[in-house]
Amino acid sequence: MTFLSPDQIEQLLWGLRTTVFLFAASWVLSFTVALILVTVRAANIAPLRWAVDIFVAYHRNVPLLVHVLFWYFAVPEVLPEPIRFWLYDHGAEFSLAAIALGLGSSAYVSEDIRSGLRAIPHTQFEAATALGCGYIQSMRYIIVPQALRISLPPLIGRALLLFKNTSVAMAIGVAELTYQTREIENETFQTFTVFGIATVLYLMGTFLITAFGSWLNARVSVSNGRRA
Amino acid sequence: MIDLIREYWLTFLIGQYPNGPLGGLAMTIILAFCGLLASFPIAVLFALARVSPWKALRIVSGTVVNFVRGIPLLMLIFWCYFAIPLATGYAVSGFWTLVCALTIYEAAYLSEVVRSGIQAIPKGQLEASRSLGGSYALTMRSVVLPQALFNVLPGMASQFVSTIKETSLGYVISVNELTFAANQVNNLVLTQPLQVFTILACIYFVLCFSLTQVLGRIEAAIRRRRGLI
Amino acid sequence: MMKNKWNILAFALPLALAAVPAKADLLDDVKSRGQLVCGTLGTSQPFSFQDDSRQLVGYDVDICKLVADKIGVKVEYKLLSVAARIPELNGGRVDIVAANLGWSPDRAGQIDFSHKYYVTPQKLLVLDSSDIQTIEDLKGKRIGATKGSSSEREIKNRLPDSRVIGYADSPATFLSLQQRKVDAQFASELVLVRLVNESPEGRPTRILEKAVMEEPWGLGVRKGEGAFLAAVNEALDEAEKSGEAEKLFNKWFGPDTAYKLKRSFVIEPLPAS
Repeated sequence: MTFLSPDQIEQLLWGLRTTVFLFAASWVLSFTVALILVTVRAANIAPLRWAVDIFVAYHRNVPLLVHVLFWYFAVPEVLPEPIRFWLYDHGAEFSLAAIALGLGSSAYVSEDIRSGLRAIPHTQFEAATALGCGYIQSMRYIIVPQALRISLPPLIGRALLLFKNTSVAMAIGVAELTYQTREIENETFQTFTVFGIATVLYLMGTFLITAFGSWLNARVSVSNGRRA
Repeated sequence: MIDLIREYWLTFLIGQYPNGPLGGLAMTIILAFCGLLASFPIAVLFALARVSPWKALRIVSGTVVNFVRGIPLLMLIFWCYFAIPLATGYAVSGFWTLVCALTIYEAAYLSEVVRSGIQAIPKGQLEASRSLGGSYALTMRSVVLPQALFNVLPGMASQFVSTIKETSLGYVISVNELTFAANQVNNLVLTQPLQVFTILACIYFVLCFSLTQVLGRIEAAIRRRRGLI
Repeated sequence: MMKNKWNILAFALPLALAAVPAKADLLDDVKSRGQLVCGTLGTSQPFSFQDDSRQLVGYDVDICKLVADKIGVKVEYKLLSVAARIPELNGGRVDIVAANLGWSPDRAGQIDFSHKYYVTPQKLLVLDSSDIQTIEDLKGKRIGATKGSSSEREIKNRLPDSRVIGYADSPATFLSLQQRKVDAQFASELVLVRLVNESPEGRPTRILEKAVMEEPWGLGVRKGEGAFLAAVNEALDEAEKSGEAEKLFNKWFGPDTAYKLKRSFVIEPLPAS
């Protein structure tokens, strides 16, 4: 069996790099958006709550690939021309894929954080208010940190899914790991070698995320007797 | 947008059928249904293997499940795309490739759902059955599994919804399903991608959202019947 | 999951090493069987497709028949997907592959190629309204191609500053061209001719005259079957000399067809791997 050339190994690793960047970018976006969603929803103003609910339901019930295609082929069409062409000149594939992935994931992340929030007794909020904390302050310093800790395990699960889902970006030409694997397979016909390597790389990625998650969980877990 | 729907609603619903292959929404539902149906027995077997008293079986089944859960579905689809023709000696259509990939992927996730159901059954029941002289197989078959499967019905239902969403990846290997049909329409029209993809998203949304609602109702009804609320 | 890693390798490696069955000599084998199993796509007009009476026809199909005739055996067709053609060949399920196999040095490391029996010019499609006239005008621009079209690397060599974006299929690439996400679409001439005809009113497209490259196609044969490969090449050479090969070309691409192509090549050896 012949092996891949150094060039092709490098190409695969570039793909892995793109996958990791895409994962990181979309995760940061998804977490930020999720925090905003949770905060807005907790404010308990009916129209805002409905808006968040619709956003979440939309992203949970439409396939990720459709989000990606929508953001890539449809959304730029409504942007003003200068912005559109600036985007095309600056890696539209990557950024639009990151937005689609991030928003899609944020719907789930916000639900996870919300169930964490629900686990915090309301009395804590009242106590914080009694101590003179405003709404934002109580959320920021008292409620959210605890909720995050409780929802850590499902959040790790989401991160894992997000990492795997970055592969969908290949459909719009983002040169991530799956994309490069297909490229090299087609160039060399070494189907099983290339896909074997890519599979092992993905497994290593999911393993690292899982391991990091367990470490983090052990560090912050309340049952460990540690304080946050 | 109304014009688009008026002109292409049949393409969205059934693809080129009857003048060509069946596709569109109908194919999406068929795919999801086949995938879930085929994965169910495998999932039960794997769940049983993972809680079995034999260590080797537990390790092997655990490895397979974690392996499948550790790679993207898209990778799995490509593996099936290459490996199935090689293993069977036949050129396999995109439809069957996708059904196989979905089956394997869903079986891995579903087996975890079933396993959690099995593990939630109090150990005392297993012990009671065994002490009454029931074999392990009999205990599993007639005592543990019926309860466990019933309890995880909601989990399986939500798995069905995610299977529907996952069929969209068939687009990448040109399986004629809903996303593929939308792209066909898009390529015909060319000038209205925003409208076409909005319609596409709406169809998925209506399908999955209403399914989730219906299944939620059923779940609540089941819980009431079993006195869990 | 860490402790599962070795199990995973144990699972993946046998697949990766999917063995090449050791057979005595393919040529003898084919002759004693009285049958040549030819792998072809069945979905690629005009190379291999089903006509109105659901009969498998096309240029690739005829070439296989020609080779089988010269060897003196019957031909049996087996339909393959693009992805399965090499695994099937190396797995020993087909004797020969006639399935849009573009030659490249990397590919020639995996399988042997017969003499070239078809050459496809790879060209660029641009919006008619754009000011791009030559290949060089595309320096630093974005070029769309279908993922899996074998020549992506070639265009990167020709235009090192440009960015190549691979899409799922040629319609998706064409949409990106129409939306000006890419400045040009790179594909084989046959595909581009069809796209020009299908361009929507108000947004016409044109093909840049000069081909970026020519991709020669060969029949695929398993490595290490020297006698068989020689017999195949002999058959092709003979067909070239007798004019049969040219007749086949004209049957599928010539003046009486929709493509109206002129044969710009002769059957001749490809570079050795």
